[in-house]
Amino acid sequence: MGAVTERRVTSLIVLLIAAALLSQTFGQAYSGLGAFSPMFFPQIILGFWVAVATLDVVSELRRSSSSDHPRLMRVSFMAVATLFFLYGMTRLGFFLSAVPFSITSLVVLGLRNPLAILAVGIGVPAALVALFNHLLVLPLPTSPFTWWF
Amino acid sequence: MIELLPQAIDLIFTFEGIGVLVLGTMLGVILGALPGIGSTVAVAMILPFTLTMSQAPAILMLLAVYAGSVYGGSISAILINTPGTPQSAATCLDGYPMAQRGEAGLALGWSTIASTIGGLVSAVVLLMAAPQLAQLALNFGPIETFALILLGLTCIVSVSEGSLIKGLIAGSIGLFLGCVGGDPITGEARFTFGQFQLISGFNLLAVVIGVFALSEVLIRAAAKQEESTNLVSFSGIVLPAWSAWRGRWKVLAKSVAIGNGIGILPGTGAATAAFISYAEAQRSSPNRKNFGKGEPDGLIASESANNAVTGGALVPTMALGIPGDAITAVMLATLTLHGVTPGIRLMTDNPVLITAIFAGFFVINLMLLPMGMIVAKGAAPLLRLREGYMLVLIVLLCSVGVYFVRGNPFDLMVMGCAGILGFVLRRQGMPMAPLVIGMVLGPTLEISLRQGLIITDGSFLAFFSGHPIALVLAVCAVGMLSLPVITAARAKRTTEDT
Repeated sequence: MGAVTERRVTSLIVLLIAAALLSQTFGQAYSGLGAFSPMFFPQIILGFWVAVATLDVVSELRRSSSSDHPRLMRVSFMAVATLFFLYGMTRLGFFLSAVPFSITSLVVLGLRNPLAILAVGIGVPAALVALFNHLLVLPLPTSPFTWWF
Repeated sequence: MIELLPQAIDLIFTFEGIGVLVLGTMLGVILGALPGIGSTVAVAMILPFTLTMSQAPAILMLLAVYAGSVYGGSISAILINTPGTPQSAATCLDGYPMAQRGEAGLALGWSTIASTIGGLVSAVVLLMAAPQLAQLALNFGPIETFALILLGLTCIVSVSEGSLIKGLIAGSIGLFLGCVGGDPITGEARFTFGQFQLISGFNLLAVVIGVFALSEVLIRAAAKQEESTNLVSFSGIVLPAWSAWRGRWKVLAKSVAIGNGIGILPGTGAATAAFISYAEAQRSSPNRKNFGKGEPDGLIASESANNAVTGGALVPTMALGIPGDAITAVMLATLTLHGVTPGIRLMTDNPVLITAIFAGFFVINLMLLPMGMIVAKGAAPLLRLREGYMLVLIVLLCSVGVYFVRGNPFDLMVMGCAGILGFVLRRQGMPMAPLVIGMVLGPTLEISLRQGLIITDGSFLAFFSGHPIALVLAVCAVGMLSLPVITAARAKRTTEDT
């Protein structure tokens, strides 16, 4: 997908999301309530969003140039790895999810010195666990295996 | 306020208080110097460390990081020609040429003095103006509050960085995100889609950290290649001699005034202030021919103005609860987290604490001078640090920060999703500041609008007929909205004429 197409598709998706949300605000339950209706304010906001998103779609359709392609593989990996890390943080504990995230992210981000990668990948999460769990006594999520990390 | 100063000073000058002022300013300078982090992410990264502190030191630490990071941006601007924060972009213009001709220490000396003076004056403005404004706003009812928030929202126009339509979309998304959860009047759940965690709405800090910090990580990961840094030789800050200031005080005074004035206006921000001040100095300075070639007047103009914005920007944030940009929105959220609710009851609820915060802000700016002298030399080698290490550190610290806010795993996923949303929207050219401002101001806007309509029996016109303050504020809002349109039309006409 070209960069211009990417922008057009994203614009369209933003418009469709706004329209779909706006359609949720109409219904018998909310009619005639005026300012008492829970959907009174969202209707105004979403109506405005639909209007400006329509203008945006039009301006994107008239646009011919765009920015460079991103490094999709790298950014996709980082996004997925971050989500896994955030999900794993409360399941496996901070340390056990942060170490694989840090090491793989550093490799993906182009760092090649194995000693530095291991030192940062293990050292930084360990230092944070030591600081918060044991020094500040503000516990980060711990693993199901031991309370130490 | 003055009569509360002795009690406030007792709160600041404790062992913990002095410790956080020193540490916070130091960390702020270092984080501000590292390109890509910026003030917003710096405050977000430090937030978890403040959660075990008592109220006053925690808030002072965050303010120290804020003020320190704005100054810290000048270090990388001067030494590697890359502004550490957007506020220091104008500093590159004269700072780097000075560094290239072997005067890096002197350039940092000028920027340190200018930043300190700019920050000190802005702290005095904050100390004087915020309580008065809060006092004035005590007379506001729902209708006046609605008009005030409407005026605050018009700053979306000025923070829209190029595309007004995209800024308005981002603002609408923010306002919508503020609607998710229980209805403030009836309590009915809205847009929760069966997720009970959403009944209390999205956590503001999780969204803010996601759209700023995480999306920045993704943007940098998506960049084609890491830029190499050419660090000029630097052996420490050299303060300029008194005689070198001759003829430059006028530039300093004018720039500090511009910074303070622009800071109080919602939405303009420190980067705008620095460039306006630089342009004014270039127009009026006797050394205007040397601008862009390493002229100290250029450095004085940009650095004093961007630090003068810090206190000014906190005036509407603290007194009215209206943040003018992303960093003040984050500051507002962190203040609320630490039990201080900015807004019209600011001075009535916590008078001693607020006086301590304002006085502490003065001390923080005073400390920029010694801290700058000490930290700049140590921070310089960090500019060679590979970006990957910094990106991983940002993700780890931000996730810790969001986790500690409520201890809710759902907030972590909100942050992750907000990061991806922020990345997609920023790729689209959408600025993130309007989204955050919309989300912060949305709930108050909704309540005041609906309460106002209930008071006036559903008549929107009655909002302005019997409420002169609301009318004035609404006229100002319309003026702010139409300003870019008029400016664009005038620019077009000028282009056609030439």
